[in-house]
Amino acid sequence: MASEARPPLSAEGQWRPPAVGRAKAASLTISQDATVVAADRDSGAVLASAPFASLTISDRVGSIPRTVTFPDGSVFETSDNDTIDNMVRPRGKRHFGFVHGLEKFHPRLILFAALVVAFCFVLYRFAVPVLVEVAVAVTPPVVPKLLSQGALVSLDQTFFEETKLSIERQKALSDQFAAMAKLTLRGSAAPASPEDAPAYTLNFRAGGTIGPNAFALPDGTVVLTDELVELADDDEMVLAVLAHEIGHVERQHSLRQLYRAAGVTALIMLIGGDIGSGTGDILVQGSALASLSYSRGAEAEADRYSVELMHKVGHDPAAIARFFELLRDKLGDTGKNDFLSSHPATPERIEETRRYAEEISNPGK
Amino acid sequence: MADTETAPAAAPRAIHMQRENFSFTGTVREYFGIWIVNVLLTIVTLGIYSAWAKVRRQRYFYGNTHLAGATFDYHARPKQILIGRILVVVLLVAYNLLATFAPLASLLFAVAFLFVLPWLVMRGMRFSARVTSYRNVRFDFTGGYWGAFRAYILGTALAYGTLGILLPLASRWMWTYTLGNLRYGDRPITSDPRLGKLYGQWWLPAFMIVGTLLAIFVWLTVVGYAMNDQLNQIDLQNAAPPLHLIFLLYIVLIPLGILFAVASLFYQAGTRNVALNATIIDGRHVMASSIGRRRYAWISITNLIATLATLGFARPWAAIRMASYLATVTALDTTGSLDEYVGTVRDEGGAFGSEYMDLEGFDLGF
Repeated sequence: MASEARPPLSAEGQWRPPAVGRAKAASLTISQDATVVAADRDSGAVLASAPFASLTISDRVGSIPRTVTFPDGSVFETSDNDTIDNMVRPRGKRHFGFVHGLEKFHPRLILFAALVVAFCFVLYRFAVPVLVEVAVAVTPPVVPKLLSQGALVSLDQTFFEETKLSIERQKALSDQFAAMAKLTLRGSAAPASPEDAPAYTLNFRAGGTIGPNAFALPDGTVVLTDELVELADDDEMVLAVLAHEIGHVERQHSLRQLYRAAGVTALIMLIGGDIGSGTGDILVQGSALASLSYSRGAEAEADRYSVELMHKVGHDPAAIARFFELLRDKLGDTGKNDFLSSHPATPERIEETRRYAEEISNPGK
Repeated sequence: MADTETAPAAAPRAIHMQRENFSFTGTVREYFGIWIVNVLLTIVTLGIYSAWAKVRRQRYFYGNTHLAGATFDYHARPKQILIGRILVVVLLVAYNLLATFAPLASLLFAVAFLFVLPWLVMRGMRFSARVTSYRNVRFDFTGGYWGAFRAYILGTALAYGTLGILLPLASRWMWTYTLGNLRYGDRPITSDPRLGKLYGQWWLPAFMIVGTLLAIFVWLTVVGYAMNDQLNQIDLQNAAPPLHLIFLLYIVLIPLGILFAVASLFYQAGTRNVALNATIIDGRHVMASSIGRRRYAWISITNLIATLATLGFARPWAAIRMASYLATVTALDTTGSLDEYVGTVRDEGGAFGSEYMDLEGFDLGF
């Protein structure tokens, strides 16, 4: 307001001694030699005086009162934000009030809102997947190994028991598994030195409360429960499930999912403070749902992998589809046990695997 | 509202008591700009600006909260906040890594963490109090470790362990810890909400929840019995996830969720009234809170719905609306002047605890 009248810059407000509640009506002036003086409004007595450079002046936020703190700790407070800005601006601090300028009510804010939407979309849709790929690429092989060891140890302690399958049965399955593993990318790339563990190892366990199940840990440790072997009609079905699990390892699904969840959580935390805790919670729930749909995609990819690998080894590529049909017929898709809830035998899945198996066996068509 | 007869240190008689109402003068027009710039710069700087954003947001809300002709102020420095945040994030990442690589060891850490949490709460409360001032005089917080342990660990365990029956006891510990350990300048603040009054706010939400659970149980039994045959057929025939079953489940779950939310909002509002009305500053100024619990629940829920429906863009409006409401239902019954206080606090300590509470969504209860 008083920007044209240069010398008598003066703001009306209140002055308080250091850490004292009682205020005096005061005015703040700045002289030519940049000395700032807070003076009693009635008597004109000097309450505090200091060179401009030694003052702490609070940033402008909305129209809340500003404080000017003197080196002795006394504080001058005023709502006359414009005059304070006019005192500060000519004295070197060029960026003073820059953020406040952005925040002012102005059509520009619509642009900011659009930018926020665009950034959130780009981050979620592109930056997170790219970062996940980068993270997967730079992850040293020791990480999946560590991930797996801890997991298998704790599962052994909590759920699993010693397998009850006969040695011969175990050997038969292991041999066929090894033949299959040799044809995978990891299996073929593994160094031939004998002291190295093979890329894929098959472990037998009694499932206990977990029931019929098979899963792969990211280092290539595949676990198969007795119950699943008993459930299957023939060995090809078991192998198809194992090929599906190998598919998860080949495509590094668990590592990807881990990084993805971390990335999305970080993204929510990034804006979390300014969207309110209720909205934040709901976003976290929503991202859990989204990761569910991501894991559906991973399942479909592993299904296709099973079809391809089974075909390569010379087994029935549609064995995985037959296994799903068996699940559907024997158990009903009640979603009661773990394997079923993460591997639902939906009609689409059966149809898709059957179609793909058909396509892969008759490439001419 | 002000129960002067319950004040432990009875105010000297024949002293004139004057009510000073809180008021909030922030506007959506101003805050929208602050908010959108906060979010934008936070994204652009990959989170670093969030510390500056927090300071601007807090200063806006504190600076617009008026009491007896003066406003509050927030003095935390962004760099303090940033350091606290980085420490918390590093710790959370480390913990999650541990949980992934060594699930059993992380279980031990989780137990150990129960004993660290009270310390974090204590430090967080102290930091938040010390960076808050009113009339140039800072608040302080003198609560210790065991008070926080009782309020947050023991209280939570008791409340859950007894299915909510002892929740008011936990609330009492929580409020006496958070409010009763505050100091304004060199003068103490006491808070002693009576257990009977807290239970007075408890029975309605409790009945709401128990009643609905019963109703749902009866409904599920009846419907489940009636549809039993049908359900079996669905499973065997097409093995598709029966959509209408999921739909039925949601029909039950969504109202249940809303009812739980309303019941807990009722309880929050009621206990805030009880706790603030039992809070006395310097033995003579009595806080007064008169939240209408239905109004409070209405504002909270419509705020959330509006925020979600607008992809977050109604958040500034929602935040201003809630702050205005809370200010209008809060007052201070003063005896004597409010400006004769003198501050003692110089050092604020680190922001680690307060940032932990902030990032984990703890409610400070102010």
